[in-house]
Amino acid sequence: MDSLDNTSWDVIITGTGLPQSLLALSLSRSGKQILHIDRNDYYGGDEAALALSEAEQWVKKHGGDASENADSAYSHATISLSDAQEEGAKKLGFSRAYSLALAPHLVYARSNLLPAVVSSRTHSQLEFQAIGSWFTVTAPLDGLPSWSRLTRVPSGREDVFRDDSLDLRSKRSLMKFLRFVASYDEESEQQRMVELKGLPLSVALKQHFGLKSAAAVGPLLALALPTVSEIETTMEFAVPRIARHLRSIGMFGPGFSAVLPKWGGLAEIAQVACRACAVGGGVYVLGQGIKNAIRAEDAEDSKLRLELTGGEEVTARWLVGCPRDLPATISKPIPNQADPAEDIMKSISIVSSPLTSLFPPTAEGGVIPAGAVVWVEVAGSSSPSVRILVHSSESGECPAGQCVLYASLRGDPSYLDTAVQNLLESMGEQPKPEVLWQMQYQHHAEAEQPQNTTSSGHVFTLQPLSTGIVLEDDVLKDVEEAWRKIMGNGAEGFMKFESREGVDEDE
Amino acid sequence: MQSHGIPRVAATTLDKSEQARNKERKQIIQYQALERDVVDRVKAKDYSDTTFQLTSQLLTQNPEYYTIWNYRRLILQHVFARELAADEEPSEQDSAAAEKANLPPAQHEVLLLIKEDLQFLIPLLKQYPKCYWIWNHRSWLLGTATKHLPAHSAVTLWQAELGLVSKMLGLDSRNFHGWGYRREVVLAIERLNSNGDDGEKGSGTGNMVESEFAYTTKMIQSNLSNFSAWHYRSQLIPRLLSSRKADTNTRREFLDAEFELITRALYTDPYDQSLWFYHQYLMATLNPSNAQALPVLDPCGREEHARYLEREIGSVREMLEGAEDCKYIYQALLEYSGLHLEVEGEGGEVALGEMREWLRELRGIDPLREGRWRDLERKMGS
Repeated sequence: MDSLDNTSWDVIITGTGLPQSLLALSLSRSGKQILHIDRNDYYGGDEAALALSEAEQWVKKHGGDASENADSAYSHATISLSDAQEEGAKKLGFSRAYSLALAPHLVYARSNLLPAVVSSRTHSQLEFQAIGSWFTVTAPLDGLPSWSRLTRVPSGREDVFRDDSLDLRSKRSLMKFLRFVASYDEESEQQRMVELKGLPLSVALKQHFGLKSAAAVGPLLALALPTVSEIETTMEFAVPRIARHLRSIGMFGPGFSAVLPKWGGLAEIAQVACRACAVGGGVYVLGQGIKNAIRAEDAEDSKLRLELTGGEEVTARWLVGCPRDLPATISKPIPNQADPAEDIMKSISIVSSPLTSLFPPTAEGGVIPAGAVVWVEVAGSSSPSVRILVHSSESGECPAGQCVLYASLRGDPSYLDTAVQNLLESMGEQPKPEVLWQMQYQHHAEAEQPQNTTSSGHVFTLQPLSTGIVLEDDVLKDVEEAWRKIMGNGAEGFMKFESREGVDEDE
Repeated sequence: MQSHGIPRVAATTLDKSEQARNKERKQIIQYQALERDVVDRVKAKDYSDTTFQLTSQLLTQNPEYYTIWNYRRLILQHVFARELAADEEPSEQDSAAAEKANLPPAQHEVLLLIKEDLQFLIPLLKQYPKCYWIWNHRSWLLGTATKHLPAHSAVTLWQAELGLVSKMLGLDSRNFHGWGYRREVVLAIERLNSNGDDGEKGSGTGNMVESEFAYTTKMIQSNLSNFSAWHYRSQLIPRLLSSRKADTNTRREFLDAEFELITRALYTDPYDQSLWFYHQYLMATLNPSNAQALPVLDPCGREEHARYLEREIGSVREMLEGAEDCKYIYQALLEYSGLHLEVEGEGGEVALGEMREWLRELRGIDPLREGRWRDLERKMGS
């Protein structure tokens, strides 16, 4: 392709993370001239999936502290390898056998992303797999890993019926709570919800639902996935999230509530979305970012004039990106005003065992899931717990016989490894599965960015994904807002396309 | 129309654009011509393969048209009779295939035809799992096989049916067609496997009562609200116990275990009616004057009946805590205490005053059945 210098575009999108890629997809049939760039030399941005060697490079780049990584969401990256290199010990596969997700997410069956993937005709290029079971690992006594206990979270009536650890009264009370949660936003329960919402979940369970057993609280917390400690988790936070889980169960098949995209999670969706935009005429250039805005608005043709990192000058009617991809002169800089206490510590561990007992079939004759969620208590109820997403080799992220553990915690990063070890210990496998390779990093929360920060209003800032592990509906809603701005207010058919002749699936 | 969450396939098209209507018009003309053709042929006793294929076409479009299923069976009967009476020598490969299947060639032909028709039914059954005529035709095919073929061939077919019905019940565990068919299949397999053993029914080597009982346990665990599974379980219990040659103590242990199971289920979900039906069944087995339910404890005297009533009334009474709005609990309490009064007379476990209290609650929760509660009150009051 010839140089980009002096080219003119309808829309320039910077960064190929999920929000930007979804926007590209939404515009892929609009006939608009789209230039989509990314300052990295890979797709996916903050949600990228990396092979081993790519991960090593990424870690080198993001190794410093936050100030050295001001234009990135990540910092403090490190890698550790297992020392055990004896004969016959499990070994790492080759680099490309791995596709490690920087930002693994659960996609609930009820989320708005999935219908959009179908209506935009991209679902045939994606494979979604079940995240089947949820587990808790209780805190060991005196730090002895052998006391860790792995228990499956009951997520429905039949699970509660079968759960031997619950006595009759607890079963009754738990069901009562689940029934309340299932209809918490209906008229009949609104009053009650208003009364209860400020209470910590654990307190409300005991006082209002008769759940005296402390053992029942952990599983419910696991379903809500808070970043704060047990005592800080309120009904207001927990109930809608548990409801989302309950309402998603069975939507795509019996026994599971959420899915993960195969081959690297959200990065795969981003790639498919970009491909769709390319098929529609969009131009893709990696290794380029926006260096500067030369003039915010040219009075004659009311276009933005931008300088790319390679020195080329381009003009565009619209510029869209996440705050960190937009130069300071355009997006009024709000340097990481987010509270550092909100930062999330993350780790990715490659484990030498398939951890089969974490992936039981979702139901009688149901699918074998590729994902599981484990909630690990590390230091008692006044400390936040570690959330671990476990992906089997079926997810395409690692070779057969291994698993990838994605741990995250708002708190002391050393607990991440403790949690991983507790989980592996609680599996009861002989020999104990070991961590072959691990990377740790920190993910910085983004302060809320106000929209349309320029006078012209032709720059749209997309919210980056949160530091969490559940894909929220806000992401797509934000993309739709950007789409509507670009297409005009009367535009219809967001993410609704006809199949292309001969290109899409043949049914 | 949806039934317990499994949508019923709608045969009508919703798109009413001009193009679609023209298309539909053509389809209707085509269908009516096909129908006329089939009816005429059968009237003329044309039982050829062409007619047979035409019925296939027609039934694929409209499996509810039961007359055409009848016609299809007429044709098949005709073909089977012809095959079985055949005098001509079969071909080389037909003989070889028949020998492999351990069947005389004529019967082998019949088996192949039946298998083919069973295959034809499968996609139809998947699409219309609640169509009586499809299940019925399957039943007829299997029945014909049993009539004309030796036991070893027929039983293989029936075993395959068990696999099929398990799969169908996996797709919709509350499809009563499936459960009814399953009972038919199990009965047929047991008969064929009993090798002419005319001894006690259910005690032969071929009895499947244990595996079927385990199947109901599995189905209940995957979905508590399953009237059919609980019902089937209740039907199996008497045979199960006699097959196990259970003595009095074993029987009592078994019954207590069933009560424990259903109590656990009721604590999990007292609002599920299918669970209360099963509880009532268990209680009914203890009632010597109840002709419907075969006794489990054998014998069960008045004393024992009264003790169980007392125990269960106590148990159900405890269930009220935290479920004061559950009408089934009050109904159960009233029914069992009423029975207890009959058995033991007054001054027993339950005072009339408490019963009146329960009735009052029940009237509040379920005002639609006021008439029934008034009747009950009158009975109690006297």
